[in-house]
Amino acid sequence: MALSAFFSSSRSVFSAAIFLRAIFLVYGLFQDAHSPMKYTDIDYFVFTDAARFIAQGQSPYERDTYRYTPLLAWLMYPTAWPGFWFSFGKILFAVGDIIAGWMTFRILRAYHNMSQERALRYASIWLLNPMVATISTRGSSEGLLGVFVTALLWAVLAKRIALSGFLLGFAVHFKIYPFIYAASIIWWLDDDRINGRRTNTSPKPASIANQIIAFMNPQRLVLATCSLGTFMGLNMVMYLAYGWPFLDHSYFYHLIRIDHRHNFSPYNTLLYLNSSPKIHLNAGAQPSLELERLAFLPQLLLSVVFIPLFLSKKDLPSTMLAQTFAFVAFNKVCTSQYFLWYMMFLPYYLPESTLLRSRSVGVSALIFWVLGQVFWLQQGFQLEFNGHSTFVPGLWASGILFFVVNVVILGIMIHDVQSKDALA
Amino acid sequence: MKQRITYLVEDPDSFTPEQLEAKHGSLSLKGLKAVQEHRVTFSLDELPAELRTALKKWKELHIKWVSPKPYVAIPPFTSRVSPGLHVSFAPRNAQPKGQLCDLLHTFFDRKAKCSSELDADEVATPLFHVDEDGKETPSVSLQYYTFLSHLTQFSSFVNSNLCPRSSETCVEHAVSLRDASYLDIDYTSALSTLTVTALTTPPSSGWEAVIPSPLPGHTTEVGILTHEPNPDPEDLAFAGFLTTLGPDAAPKPTRFQTPARHYPLPSSSKGLTYRASFATPTGLHPTLELSFSPAGKLEPPDESCGLYAHLTLPSSLFIDRYQFSDALFLASKNLASLPHITGATDLEAPDWVVPQWGSAALFELAVPEKGPGDGSWTSSIPLHLRYLPAAPHAHTRVPLPWPVVFWACDITQDPSGNPFDRVDLGYEQSFGPGTRFMHVPPHPGGNGNASVEGNENSHGEGVLVSWIDVPVLDTSKAGWVEMGTIGAVVAAFVGLCWVLFSGRGTKEVKREKKEQ
Repeated sequence: MALSAFFSSSRSVFSAAIFLRAIFLVYGLFQDAHSPMKYTDIDYFVFTDAARFIAQGQSPYERDTYRYTPLLAWLMYPTAWPGFWFSFGKILFAVGDIIAGWMTFRILRAYHNMSQERALRYASIWLLNPMVATISTRGSSEGLLGVFVTALLWAVLAKRIALSGFLLGFAVHFKIYPFIYAASIIWWLDDDRINGRRTNTSPKPASIANQIIAFMNPQRLVLATCSLGTFMGLNMVMYLAYGWPFLDHSYFYHLIRIDHRHNFSPYNTLLYLNSSPKIHLNAGAQPSLELERLAFLPQLLLSVVFIPLFLSKKDLPSTMLAQTFAFVAFNKVCTSQYFLWYMMFLPYYLPESTLLRSRSVGVSALIFWVLGQVFWLQQGFQLEFNGHSTFVPGLWASGILFFVVNVVILGIMIHDVQSKDALA
Repeated sequence: MKQRITYLVEDPDSFTPEQLEAKHGSLSLKGLKAVQEHRVTFSLDELPAELRTALKKWKELHIKWVSPKPYVAIPPFTSRVSPGLHVSFAPRNAQPKGQLCDLLHTFFDRKAKCSSELDADEVATPLFHVDEDGKETPSVSLQYYTFLSHLTQFSSFVNSNLCPRSSETCVEHAVSLRDASYLDIDYTSALSTLTVTALTTPPSSGWEAVIPSPLPGHTTEVGILTHEPNPDPEDLAFAGFLTTLGPDAAPKPTRFQTPARHYPLPSSSKGLTYRASFATPTGLHPTLELSFSPAGKLEPPDESCGLYAHLTLPSSLFIDRYQFSDALFLASKNLASLPHITGATDLEAPDWVVPQWGSAALFELAVPEKGPGDGSWTSSIPLHLRYLPAAPHAHTRVPLPWPVVFWACDITQDPSGNPFDRVDLGYEQSFGPGTRFMHVPPHPGGNGNASVEGNENSHGEGVLVSWIDVPVLDTSKAGWVEMGTIGAVVAAFVGLCWVLFSGRGTKEVKREKKEQ
């Protein structure tokens, strides 16, 4: 009963969320001050170094491995001030977390018609998640993305189209991958949605030209214009200010990255194998098909075409979850911070999902998802710290296994959304 | 051609003038236990035409090869460089591509990592020097390094391509290079001379040799010297005999003093050595441990001195400079700072996309306060490995030449005029001019058990190299990786499409029924 009382008050849940992050922040300060092993994420030192360069009037790309928009370094500007200001960025990320959680709560209340207690319970998947709190208080910027993407979802659901376009363009400028949401949002924005009711289907078979004209309704055009304008406008400003290094580090690096350090992606071992020079290859060995060059095909077909097309009109938030899940699972690089990208959508999908309705399915999905990572991490540890050559079969097999687990979970998600009736 | 041969007697008490005999213009040595420095200076027109043309393409070229076998460095041959092949150079403007790599592949090592398709300044990395205001600026010189355990290829090349057919001495010298502890080759276009200097430790029975009288127009000078204790600590003092070979050859007694840049440890630190090794398991983030023993002797020779280690890392290893900005981290590793790093410092790239040879770093080490006496003192330097190419085996061996360790002391002095001065060592430019270097010798047993090629050595003779087994993707087990990965992805894609499409079908059927 105490638990139910806790979740019935938004004050208690948000206080707990703030308290959790405050504890982690203070603990982090303590560990950083007293141990050579730092609590602070390595990326945070990258951001703060970049902010220092900006404060000195230089380019943030003076810092090696700074691969983000200069906006991030500007947001972190106060970290260049002395003393406690160093932690400013972490506080910013943690506040971003809380705001994202609050918006999730509001969306659940307003668009999923949940009671306060139920909405708070599901928002706590994000708000009280120790993984989320750790990532932001260690100073990783992924949490900040949660605010932008959740704000985007809220703006779309509230039919604030121009704002949605602005947020979409901003999020893509910030981290590229949110471009996948453009597909589902555009498809979702049909006339029925805006007029609030189902217009009578015209009896006349529409010509293709008419269909295209009908598809290009005002809200879709506004969204496309606003998002593209914001995205290109920001890029233009950044390019004028920081030149080629901005494009190179924020965009091109991610498209042609060449580091194949082991990660969760199923393609990882194959990429290492095929990018490595063939110094010992026998003349008779078969040349590689280099099919990994087509890896973007299944990834984009699923996350940008099929999933939005089949699902977005039924349930937009869950479609965005499935899109993100597919994008991450089929990506050529995958690390655990990418999991945060889809975690922010779980509160919208889980309440009516098979994963919660059927205890056995849900629990086994969770167990397999964790086991896949444990198996991979164990192989990775043997490689990274003990120097055992676990690339094949260990790391490869565990990567594929984790991929299969993800695909099965994605299958369940798609099936769940598929069987819903379209939301009015 | 000018030859200068200097013998530095290891134990002055064992030396008697009877071990030398000048006869018919030549000089014979009998059982002389002395380190030999043999320096030959050629003027350009004395060289074969091909070599002359090749050299004219460089403004400056300095090649230093150091044997991985430990040797005792006695004054004035005190300076040290990490084992392997070091090249520092200033190219002429508009130098054609591949110049450096062709030179290395032809003369020294066919397998050296150096791509002829690249410009020299893509393969080599800038050297830095400190100007008089203490500011670090890039010099015109570039540096290159590759680990090379022996001079076999160089010696054979000189023997068969450069030595005149008639010259037996040339062939002998070429062969004797294989025993050298180090070899310096210096070409400076402004001087139009090529200087070749080799340092060789004596065979166990001492030198038994006849140094012949030079051909007309050439000179040969031989000095047999002992290092003398000196009341003036600023200078090194020597005594012995100098002989100019020729018709009137006769050893003439000599005694002289010279300032120097490189010194051995003061007598209070005698017996101090360091060892380099890797903490096990090495994994992908090996930690280099430099341990000093006995730690009680690790005392600065002067208040102005700092203890430094100069690392030369092949491109498969790299340093993350950002790790070394935290005081707690540095202190936990017994390090003071990382004042200087240059070269391939990309933190992510696999080895095969790094065009440079590698990187060089200068660490200042922390020194114990009133040490633990006989124990040892260890500084740890965390390194990282790049991914190495997939190979038909599970591990690939990578060498790390031991760093050079020295006290750098801020004692203003002018070492010019030292006939044995050795420059372009890679680290001295990182200090102000006139810095005094006092070298901590490596442990004479080296790495103890592993040979130059990294295999177990039956002779038990150690070398100044530490090896790491780097895990790589084993291609002999990876035959099915490609089909397996593609199969899994295609199956997953088809399966998900099936869920998407079939779901739509049933749904539409239901809706149609409803609508009807």
